[in-house]
Amino acid sequence: MTLRTTLALSAAAAALTLGGAAAAETMKIGITQNNVGVDSYQTTYEKAFIAAAEANADVETVVLDAGGDVARQIAQMEDLIQQEVDAIIIWPTNGEAVIPAVRKAHTAGIPVIVTNSNIAEPGFDFVASFSGPDNITQGARSAEIMCDKFKDMGIENEAQIVQISGQPGYTTAIERAKGFEDRLPEVCPNVTLMETQPGDWNREKSQQVMEAFLVKYDDIDGVYSGDDNMGVGALNAAKAAGREGIIFVGATNFAVGYEAMAAGEYWGSIYQSPVDDAEAALKTAIDVLNGVDVPFLNYFDTPKITQDNMGDYTKPVF
Amino acid sequence: MTALSRERIGTLLARQGILIAFAIFIIAFTLANPKFLTVDNVFSVIRSSAILGVMALGVTFVVISGNLDLSVGSMMSFSTIVVLDLHDKIGPLLAIPAMFAMTLALGALIGLLVGYLKLNSLIVTLGMLSAIHGLTLTYSGGKNMDIADKEGTWFSVFGQGTALGVPVPILMFLALAALLGIVLAKTPFGRKVYAVGGNGTAATFAGIRRARTVFTCYLISAGCVATAGLIQASRSLGSQNTVGQGLELEVLAAVILGGASLMGGSGTVFKTVIGVLILGFIQNGLLLMGLQFYVQFVVTWIIIILAVWLDIAAKRGRLWSPIA
Repeated sequence: MTLRTTLALSAAAAALTLGGAAAAETMKIGITQNNVGVDSYQTTYEKAFIAAAEANADVETVVLDAGGDVARQIAQMEDLIQQEVDAIIIWPTNGEAVIPAVRKAHTAGIPVIVTNSNIAEPGFDFVASFSGPDNITQGARSAEIMCDKFKDMGIENEAQIVQISGQPGYTTAIERAKGFEDRLPEVCPNVTLMETQPGDWNREKSQQVMEAFLVKYDDIDGVYSGDDNMGVGALNAAKAAGREGIIFVGATNFAVGYEAMAAGEYWGSIYQSPVDDAEAALKTAIDVLNGVDVPFLNYFDTPKITQDNMGDYTKPVF
Repeated sequence: MTALSRERIGTLLARQGILIAFAIFIIAFTLANPKFLTVDNVFSVIRSSAILGVMALGVTFVVISGNLDLSVGSMMSFSTIVVLDLHDKIGPLLAIPAMFAMTLALGALIGLLVGYLKLNSLIVTLGMLSAIHGLTLTYSGGKNMDIADKEGTWFSVFGQGTALGVPVPILMFLALAALLGIVLAKTPFGRKVYAVGGNGTAATFAGIRRARTVFTCYLISAGCVATAGLIQASRSLGSQNTVGQGLELEVLAAVILGGASLMGGSGTVFKTVIGVLILGFIQNGLLLMGLQFYVQFVVTWIIIILAVWLDIAAKRGRLWSPIA
């Protein structure tokens, strides 16, 4: 991956130097992604982004990947500034650490669009627009899905749940947990959230955490996981321990989560398409460059999906 | 009589300091949460630790031979992804040996570079950490790998099955530990590993073929990694490309915690097993105590330092170093 990125980078740099003057009309948009290949979401995102850019004759792109490394992402930002691209899209590896690099681009007069997960608030002044899912709303919707299900079952007054959150320090993880924790007491005030532990977006880790929860708590009615990948890990733990009747709710519906829903083992999730995510980011960048008025927080919709309405959605490709 | 038994206790402490540290933690965690020492929990901890443990067994050989292996995490991701992919393509019966062959080939390549070309093992395996990760991503195209028919495959037996009431991963871990323990302690090859790691030059003069010994150590390590990948794949029947990421350091921590020397020449399989169990039980114990997770990182470190200190203190018979 490193080699490929380097090759892509040098090829792109060469292409830009040669064709820079000739193609003055086209927009040059650079993107530095978080960690393509770490999961299928990011892989699909990259493909969708490239496809969308190729479909648009006015757009020329430089596609980079930080490989999850903050230092590399900062270096890539500097490269893009050096290449004088018209706009930079960044999928932050870390919401805090990239702020100085974002500021540098802003100072150089290059609008920065943050995609997927926002940077921390002190950096907002240097960002043209954030394009991505509203993770707080996602967390809130997951709370509603779980609460509605408990009401159907008639246990909304005594249910006890646990939460498996994403990687500590990752904005998406923090926001989803916050959305969930704030909304749950509003819709189901008597449901108890007993404990939260991180599953690090990792199925195996999440399975271990759930095993510990199952030992610790004799009665668990629901599990909220920061994404379906972790949710399925928790589900595996419950199945192995022979504990039935637990309501699993996740976010970012993955293919495995979709399948578990079809099998009746997993209740619901939030449908978030990486294709929508990528296309929204590119469109936001183009709109900013064309001077269209774009809201600072430019969210795309991520609806609820449960066993009841899953027929309306196609199985996620990731 | 009293002098004698005191002396014996002293010797016991010196030899098994890490075991005593382990016992103290178990007692402390049990006092904090009585559910800690239930059969179900103990089984679940050892089963979770089995993957790390199997990898640590192989790395023990590499470390004793005076080298490092930082590639095991990436290599485990590789074998997991490969076996899951091949499972649906050629069936589990062929997929497993094919995956072992590919993983062993990677081990052989490292063994060749470190053993025969005498390249620095840190550089070679650190490079392989990225290279194998890239290989895995190229192989899978970055996609999550999942077995299509999760209910109907016997492949799940390695990760989820039980025999005589004991989870299969635990049995595989213990069987492999016993086998490799005997190889290391009781065979001529095992003694060569200690000799090469303890003093390579002396080993050469004694007629030991160093390159071949180091090569074999890396093959053993790769074989262990393939076994770990098999358990991992079978346990979740699906996987991300990064499933083993970061494990190399945990594995190394377990091996060193068990008392193997980073300089080579010392360590045992039994102590590595204890090192692995300490890490596994700490993680589980802290979860059961429900400590806030940011705090857990710090507490884990403190416990590891305490264990190392107890081990050293037992060896020298006092808490502080006599030479400051």
